[in-house]
Amino acid sequence: MKELFPAKQVMGFVASLVLTLIALLVVFTDMSYTAGMTILLVTAFIQATLQLVVFMHAGETEDGWAIYSNILFGIVIVVLSVLGTLLILLWDM
Amino acid sequence: MKIDHSQPLEYSTHQNQLNILGFWIFLGAEIMLFGTLFMGYFTLEGRTGAGPTPAQIFEITPVLIETFVLLTSSFTIGLGIHAMRLGRKNAMLSFFAITLLLGLVFLGVEIYEFMHYYHVGATYQTSAFTAALLTTLGTHGAHVTLGLFWGLFIILQVKKRGLTPQTANKSFIFSLYWHFLDVVWIFIFSFIYLKGMM
Repeated sequence: MKELFPAKQVMGFVASLVLTLIALLVVFTDMSYTAGMTILLVTAFIQATLQLVVFMHAGETEDGWAIYSNILFGIVIVVLSVLGTLLILLWDM
Repeated sequence: MKIDHSQPLEYSTHQNQLNILGFWIFLGAEIMLFGTLFMGYFTLEGRTGAGPTPAQIFEITPVLIETFVLLTSSFTIGLGIHAMRLGRKNAMLSFFAITLLLGLVFLGVEIYEFMHYYHVGATYQTSAFTAALLTTLGTHGAHVTLGLFWGLFIILQVKKRGLTPQTANKSFIFSLYWHFLDVVWIFIFSFIYLKGMM
């Protein structure tokens, strides 16, 4: 039974639960908008990386570089377009 | 077909490796799809018109249930793939079945949530905010629904054909899809719900 629960994945699961609880502080405690958004950005991106590396086995094989550069490409496009949208439509810059 | 025994079954043929890489490229496109939905949501979340604001309609309890259920299902399918690599077919199928049951619970709570929005007067036509919200949540929910059927067929095929390079490859690719849905949910949870209730 024990070999069915590898330490790496159990730790990954516990870490994602802890990160979720930290993110919840934003709602259940009184904090500024900037502090809250900083916490959310940090916990969300760590959690996403955790899923990618621990659970999705990205980078385990020889073509890991292709997988990572493809995902990075997607993220760069998204970050650029989301930031660009916010910049022009919401922050009036 | 050349089978490389030094690799896990799902990677054991050249075709299998290409299938997995191809699916990652699809996931890259999915990142951009959800990125555009977030773009629309961030732009429109303040445009509530005569309708409710995010803080007025979001309920923390269903969101917490959805989050923990989906996180756990991502963990159990990871255990399923681990069991598959050990060649433990029955353990793998059990983990996959648990994953799909959790997915079903997630979907049930999300349907409840959508009914709640309807009852408090936040429908697709209410405001730009509700339209952007329901489109984003709905696209994720539709992905989960598709995943439930896909996962069911994977289970049936592994049951029927056993663990071969082909079925292991399909199972692994399905697990990538399921983990990806959890990744998207992390961003929905953080930047739609928690941000809206902050």
